[in-house]
Amino acid sequence: MLSMRKLSKVYRTHMIETHALREIDIEVGEGEFVAVTGPSGSGKTTFLNIAGLLEDFSSGEFLLDGINVHGLNDDARSRLRNQKIGFIFQGFNLIADLNLFDNVDVPLRYRGFNSAERRRRIEAALGKVGLASRMKYYPAELSGGQQQRVAIARALAGEPRLLLADEPTGNLDSQMARGVLELLEQINAEGTTIVMVTHDLELAARAQRNVHIVDGQVSDLDHGHVTLRSVLG
Amino acid sequence: MFSYYLRLGLSSLRRNPLLTALMVLTLGVGVAASMSTFAVMRAMSGDPIAHKSDRLLVVQVDNSPAGERNDRGEPSDHLSWLDAKALLANGDGLRRSAMYGVGTVAEPPDSDARLRVQGLAVGADFFAMFEVPFDSGGGWTAEDDERAANRVVITRALAQKSFGAQPAVGRSLRLFDREYEVSGVIGDWQPQPRYYWLEAGNGNLFGEIEDLFFPLNNALSIEESPQGNVSCSGEGPTEPGYRGLLDSECVFMQFWVELADAGDRDAYADRLSGHVASQKQLGRLPLGERSRLLDVREWMVAQRVLGDDTRLQVLLAFAFLLVCIVNTVGLLLAKFSQHSGEIGVRRALGATRGQVFQQYLMQAGVVGIVGGLLGVGLTFVGLWLVGQQSADIAQAARMNPTTLLLTLATAVAAAVLAGLLPTWRACQVTPAVQLKTQ
Repeated sequence: MLSMRKLSKVYRTHMIETHALREIDIEVGEGEFVAVTGPSGSGKTTFLNIAGLLEDFSSGEFLLDGINVHGLNDDARSRLRNQKIGFIFQGFNLIADLNLFDNVDVPLRYRGFNSAERRRRIEAALGKVGLASRMKYYPAELSGGQQQRVAIARALAGEPRLLLADEPTGNLDSQMARGVLELLEQINAEGTTIVMVTHDLELAARAQRNVHIVDGQVSDLDHGHVTLRSVLG
Repeated sequence: MFSYYLRLGLSSLRRNPLLTALMVLTLGVGVAASMSTFAVMRAMSGDPIAHKSDRLLVVQVDNSPAGERNDRGEPSDHLSWLDAKALLANGDGLRRSAMYGVGTVAEPPDSDARLRVQGLAVGADFFAMFEVPFDSGGGWTAEDDERAANRVVITRALAQKSFGAQPAVGRSLRLFDREYEVSGVIGDWQPQPRYYWLEAGNGNLFGEIEDLFFPLNNALSIEESPQGNVSCSGEGPTEPGYRGLLDSECVFMQFWVELADAGDRDAYADRLSGHVASQKQLGRLPLGERSRLLDVREWMVAQRVLGDDTRLQVLLAFAFLLVCIVNTVGLLLAKFSQHSGEIGVRRALGATRGQVFQQYLMQAGVVGIVGGLLGVGLTFVGLWLVGQQSADIAQAARMNPTTLLLTLATAVAAAVLAGLLPTWRACQVTPAVQLKTQ
């Protein structure tokens, strides 16, 4: 599903070069639930941004669902993102002016579905996260846990192959966090590949597999799985 | 996606209503200022008879004496009866009329009223040349011209004052101490400007038309003196009185000819040159080669219908609009910068830069539409204010459907123009950075 080989990311200013990722090799198979952990500033979010085609990488190779994304222009990356990836953010990132229906509608609009198809998908997605009855509510009228559920519904509505979650429970209390995690596990059980970035080791332990990134490098593989390999030095 | 962007644009108006109100107000005021002055200029410079303005020509015969001081290097606006008579006699062109203005008193029958009226002595062709519409009746015939008949065409207003609700055609109206038969009542006719009788320095360019029109030959036969500009160069009349005026080089008439085809202009110019040459042999028209033909548009330019101050006002108003647009750019930049989080989310969810561009340009366009609606309202106010300066301009400066549409279109164009930079900036939002800072 996701394959990175010798992938590096360097941020350059006129004075400094910062190596955010150094020749990392990561493979995530179809249907896996992988947690990417590491301390702050280790490069987790950079990895997630590159995986989500929100940022370009400096060198190496990246195949997303078998497609080599290197050299794709901005429009092609946008389309690929829209078709294959769902995002869940720590801060939910719902659009405050739009009600739940319209928030979930956003990625579907860019996909070009007709109105009936969009409605079907929105109702199904909101139904799955238990908010079908609140389609006309605005984000500010919901609790944090409910907002994150809406974000999950928005990510799911396009039926992506890959769900990228960045600290999805970071802004939630433990009870709400548990609910969101259970929902993610359910989604994974239904076949969606999930890559979750977190610094919460308890949360990471719920994933099938952990990838630990320190100082821009993959430092260990908890299951010794053949699909994960670190390149040190 | 158009309706989606439109819906988002409309709902974005509610977001930060203060900024929205400032933008709408800025655009509305800028557009209203420019459109009200532009409407005045357009009305003043518009072609009052566009479909034949290139076939309707004013004939200017220059009879200035050689070496005259204060010579503008152009023929006078008026010509002498000597030249007008010759041009009428040669019969060139499809239609032709010499004319001059008079002032008199109208005495309606069955009434003691004495109405002060303005008149224009014209030929029978006048009404067809200038396509004067009639409520009832019509002009007079060429035979009436020949025999200098006491016929008159009056305006609807004069007909009502003189005859009330009763039909005026065929009735008798006392003018110049004589009885005139009303042959027609003019309907809605208010050319802007009154191009058929323009006199430089006469402020009445956009005012009401004359109260009555009567045969030139009749005016000549009753020896009715011209009212308005009479300019006598050189030695002036050699004889006293009206006859002396007619036989002199004094200019007080204007002469129009209608050609069957605009292409006949050169041929008519040749005939005019022929007239000048023959008069030169008689010792007249030392500067006759400056004689010329002007079509309606050229005539209005020569008569400075559109003053330099009007042009300056329009330039200033559009400069003001430019300032408003620049202000709107700043306001839109402020507004869109608040949207960078949303833009980041939309980009992450699959919006291309082009789609973000369309969405935000539509937002700017929606601001333009609302600003335009306000602008239309303010343009009404602006035109009313301009109209307060003079009744003349009030006649010209009126809101019409074209001005209304132009006002809306200008507002939308201004808003879209103002929106280009902020929208481009919006497209440059890096989603990864925005999502991290959310």
